[in-house]
Amino acid sequence: MSLFATVTSAQTITVINNGKSGGSFNARTLMYKDGLEAAGFTVNYENIGKISQAVKVFKDTKEPTIMVYANNQVYKQDLFHTSKNFIMLEYQQPLYVCTANHAKDKSGTLTVAHGKGYDPKLLRTVLGDDIVLVPYKNSGAMLKGMLGGDVDMMVNNQGKSFKYMESGQGTCEASDVLPIMAATVIGKNVNVKTIRRSIVNISNNDAFTEYHTSRKLHRPSGTWTSEYRLVRELEKGYEIKK
Amino acid sequence: MEGLIAVATGLLAGTITGIVPGAGVTVAMVLATPLLMSFDVTQLLLFYMSLASMVQFTGTIPAVYLGVPGETNSLPAVIEGTKFNRRKMAKLAIGICAVGSVLGSLVAVAVTYGLLSVLVEHITVFFSNATKFYLYIFIIAFCLLVYNKKNILVNLSLCAGGFVLSVPGESDISPDFRYTFGIEDLQFGVPLMPVLIGFLIVPTIAKMFSSSNSNVFLPNIDIGFCKVIKYFRKKLIASSLRGSIIGYLCGFVPGVSTVLSTNASYSFEKKLHPNNPGKLLVSSETANNSGQFASMLPLLLIGIPITGSEIVLYSLLVDAGWSPFQFDNVNTNADMIFRQIVPWFVVANVAGLVIAWPLARHILKLFANSKKFLIATLVVGVLLLNTYLGVLDYRVWLYTVCLLVFSGVGLLLKKYETVPLIFMYILGNDIEAVFYRQMLI
Repeated sequence: MSLFATVTSAQTITVINNGKSGGSFNARTLMYKDGLEAAGFTVNYENIGKISQAVKVFKDTKEPTIMVYANNQVYKQDLFHTSKNFIMLEYQQPLYVCTANHAKDKSGTLTVAHGKGYDPKLLRTVLGDDIVLVPYKNSGAMLKGMLGGDVDMMVNNQGKSFKYMESGQGTCEASDVLPIMAATVIGKNVNVKTIRRSIVNISNNDAFTEYHTSRKLHRPSGTWTSEYRLVRELEKGYEIKK
Repeated sequence: MEGLIAVATGLLAGTITGIVPGAGVTVAMVLATPLLMSFDVTQLLLFYMSLASMVQFTGTIPAVYLGVPGETNSLPAVIEGTKFNRRKMAKLAIGICAVGSVLGSLVAVAVTYGLLSVLVEHITVFFSNATKFYLYIFIIAFCLLVYNKKNILVNLSLCAGGFVLSVPGESDISPDFRYTFGIEDLQFGVPLMPVLIGFLIVPTIAKMFSSSNSNVFLPNIDIGFCKVIKYFRKKLIASSLRGSIIGYLCGFVPGVSTVLSTNASYSFEKKLHPNNPGKLLVSSETANNSGQFASMLPLLLIGIPITGSEIVLYSLLVDAGWSPFQFDNVNTNADMIFRQIVPWFVVANVAGLVIAWPLARHILKLFANSKKFLIATLVVGVLLLNTYLGVLDYRVWLYTVCLLVFSGVGLLLKKYETVPLIFMYILGNDIEAVFYRQMLI
């Protein structure tokens, strides 16, 4: 029996890609496009580079649509995970605090790279007050800033932190205080539980292993209810305290 | 197959763009946007490279036959090419330019390959904010000093205008939406397309409308391709190689790139051979193609566009999911350039030679006789394009309002080069972030 929940009549679904080429969101979105097509869906694949714009398109659409999303966007975009849009938890990762080798014995003020959406108060709670926070557009920009010697430390996601450690220029540690990042799949104008079956099957199908191995993604596990509860809890971690 | 589609459409667009006097790579990129939106990153790069290369070939044709530059950097071709046309040798001029252009492209590829290891060794220099900071200062200085007859005040005003347009919406250093004045659609910034149409295409159309075209085709002596090659090998190869190197180095200069390549090479050759139109023509046209390849390297390797058309390409690349930071190191970027881009670049140049030689004059004749039709098509085309993209972006009214306003301003600015404005509009956010970080670090 096929792993796919094949569709009996031609169904059209829009898959919004808001991930950068080479990144995990992009890899996931491409995987779902391929998988849904193999399952008999007609897929409209929309490349929208900016996550904020992708969210607007998602909010406005009247067509069946899915996209890869994350809990760190929900407050900014006023688009929270609900039982109507939540399809699946993709993966969850802690944030890492990385320190450059040259800064380990440094005394005085340290410069810290962080994503523009991070809560400065929380970062100061974790790293102390004697720091200068240097905002970057995204995780890749932060990594380059560290490699280029701009800053002494960075707070970054798992993928970029591992790459930094591979460079040998510093070390990283997972933070148990900073909020967990969770990537999800959300949908609109779809039956979330039905579409979840297709999405989970695609994720577990060996035909798409390349997307997992090349991007080091984890396959999903757990029930819809438990994942939904967890995501709702995790998204609270990104509320910015003003 | 996908690569072939991108290259073929790029060549077609380049053929037309080069032949239509006044049009340029930037305008062609804007008009092709609906097609380009469906392209992935590699296809976009291939399309651009084919388009830009082809324009270098076909841009020579109106320069030689009609005495009008097809591209802004075809001026030496106008001066020297018309000398050939007067002697009924236009076909020879087109031939030697085409051969020289291919040679220039090949030299550029070879030099890049040779320099790559040095670049790889020092690549982390380019990662630092400080490097980007000084590069941007350098580019802004060029914007101020190069365009609009070096009128700094005009260029400064254009830069300021562009920066103001870049401000609304999301900033690169803060999570908040700013200066949206309660308009939700402004959260995603001032839309790109009306800015490009208003400030680039509308002035171009206005200039096309007011320009007179001699439209005279002098009878020409037919000459075989083998004879062209023989003549080139015997008389022009040294000039062509000189042009390749000068053009390659000048190609890296922000803002002026191939314009500088062409003119610097022309000036140098003029010192050596002041009365030899063949050497002068070949040297400048070879430099053109060599500089074209070089000008793309800063964008491909470190994500910094340095010409007007590259700024548009950059914007499309980012929309297609490209990030200048997507690659772990320069090796990956270099690998992409040499495995995926360069082979097609060579194909595009050979195709340019094949197309420019026998076909271009006929196409040129067709266009030269239908100027009004061409302008009308362009006007309707850009209106439809703007509306279509507005609908796709769920912001059609904002697109329409912006188009009306920017077209009006664009008409008022038609005497000026608006590249500084476009540059600051597209890169304003990044420049602001780099400068801000530089103050903190």
